[in-house]
Amino acid sequence: MLQVEDLHAGYGASEVLTGTTLTVKQGTLVALIGANGAGKTTTMRAISGGLKPSRGKVLLDGQEVQGLDASRIARLGLAHSPEGRKVFGPLSVEDNLLLGAYSRLPRFFGYHAQAKDDLDRVYDLFPRLRDRTRQSAGTLSGGEQQMLAIGRALMARPKVMLLDEPSMGLAPVIVQEVFRTIRRLKEEGITLLLVEQFAKSALEVADYAYVMERGRIAVEGTPAELGRNERVLAAYLG
Amino acid sequence: MNAQIIGQMAVSGALMGLVYALIAYGFQLTFATSKSINFGQGELVMISAFFSLTLTNLGFPYWAMVPGGLLFGALMGLVVERAGVRLALEQKSEGWILLSIIIGLFFFSAAENIWGRDDRPFPTPISADPIHILGVDVTRLELSVAVGVFAIMGLIELFKRRTLLGKAFEAVSADRDAAELMGISSTRTVMLSYGLSGSVAALAGILVSPITTVGPTMASALILKAFSVAVVAGLDSGFGVVLVGMFLGALESLASFYLGSGWREAPGLILLILALALRPNGVFGKATIRKV
Repeated sequence: MLQVEDLHAGYGASEVLTGTTLTVKQGTLVALIGANGAGKTTTMRAISGGLKPSRGKVLLDGQEVQGLDASRIARLGLAHSPEGRKVFGPLSVEDNLLLGAYSRLPRFFGYHAQAKDDLDRVYDLFPRLRDRTRQSAGTLSGGEQQMLAIGRALMARPKVMLLDEPSMGLAPVIVQEVFRTIRRLKEEGITLLLVEQFAKSALEVADYAYVMERGRIAVEGTPAELGRNERVLAAYLG
Repeated sequence: MNAQIIGQMAVSGALMGLVYALIAYGFQLTFATSKSINFGQGELVMISAFFSLTLTNLGFPYWAMVPGGLLFGALMGLVVERAGVRLALEQKSEGWILLSIIIGLFFFSAAENIWGRDDRPFPTPISADPIHILGVDVTRLELSVAVGVFAIMGLIELFKRRTLLGKAFEAVSADRDAAELMGISSTRTVMLSYGLSGSVAALAGILVSPITTVGPTMASALILKAFSVAVVAGLDSGFGVVLVGMFLGALESLASFYLGSGWREAPGLILLILALALRPNGVFGKATIRKV
């Protein structure tokens, strides 16, 4: 469903990605782990168009999307829940969710009725958001904002969803809740690429995983295989 | 010092001040989406007023001329965006400041060449006879300024709150990159904001011209005060520009009545300096925290 081939990207003269290759098959959850600065978030941004790759290919459902604007890639079915959540603070919770479905809703009127089923689905997944539909997103707690960011990405009914550091800066209890949510998304058959600091928890939910080092994939395999790899064990799962 | 005269001067000044507020509101629209403003906005007001005058002279009735003028303003706003602002923003440079000034100068020369250098009256079917409300005399013409300003600002605010496109506009204002991830094109949203800002400028021209006349230099007096209003009120409060605009208008009219017409420009400049010294984010502006 999502294929990344020999991706190079960076900021100005410094190249962060030096040939990343990975595949996310339909209906699977793939984890991308690695140390800080290895290029995980840069990979996500280069896939979703926030950063233009200098070389390499990104195929979404077989179609080449590298170099397109982020908004265009989003309309083609890629939802990216970015690092740091990036909810629209001044807007209400419900407006944030509606904007998640922006590309397939009417622009002026009647959008609410058309999005009702999707809204209900997100509120069933995150009942705490249902109590706060009118509240502005900036006033939510970190955990609630993360739920909102995931819900907003779900609203797009994406072909592939990128989840960047969903546990960042959250209390341990909330982190567990986030992982329960990720497990539910997986059960619903959503195709997911997950970037995580908590490598152990990520490997528990993933079908397949890539380990990044210095801008490229160093090791890959199923969580069981990685669990037997001594280098990975020492560096990330200790 | 007669209370009735003070009231009279304050009210008609405040109504004029709404024009400054409207131009300042045009700054806010584009600043929200792109963190840029059109420094040639005054020339946009002027050239749209001239265009509307031409429509009137061609025999268009007032109610057909207004939408025509607004459409022209929107088109000129898009020209500024495409020819100036976008080029600079794509380079992440501040070049939009100079480019928008240059486009303004171009509009100025174009207006001089097409319509001449003289100030001209702007005919309107709205009567200038005073009517008596709550002890002060206001003309229908002055009231039409208030009606027009509140109508267009109200419509744009409704659009932002009630339609999905409007919410997308707000989303781009809040976080451009995150909005792109939702499939919202920030380029198009910036275009939309420049179009809206252009038609707001055109309406300001149509409303003020019957009172002040139309001429190539009409921009300079208006734009300085609109800047003062925008700086004092901050670039994110629509409510703020209305209050500050009316306040400045009233102050100006009192200053020119009691101190002489030479003092007319003083309150705006004094307010501008005070605001920059004391509250650089604007009286109604939120403090902007820059994350590094």
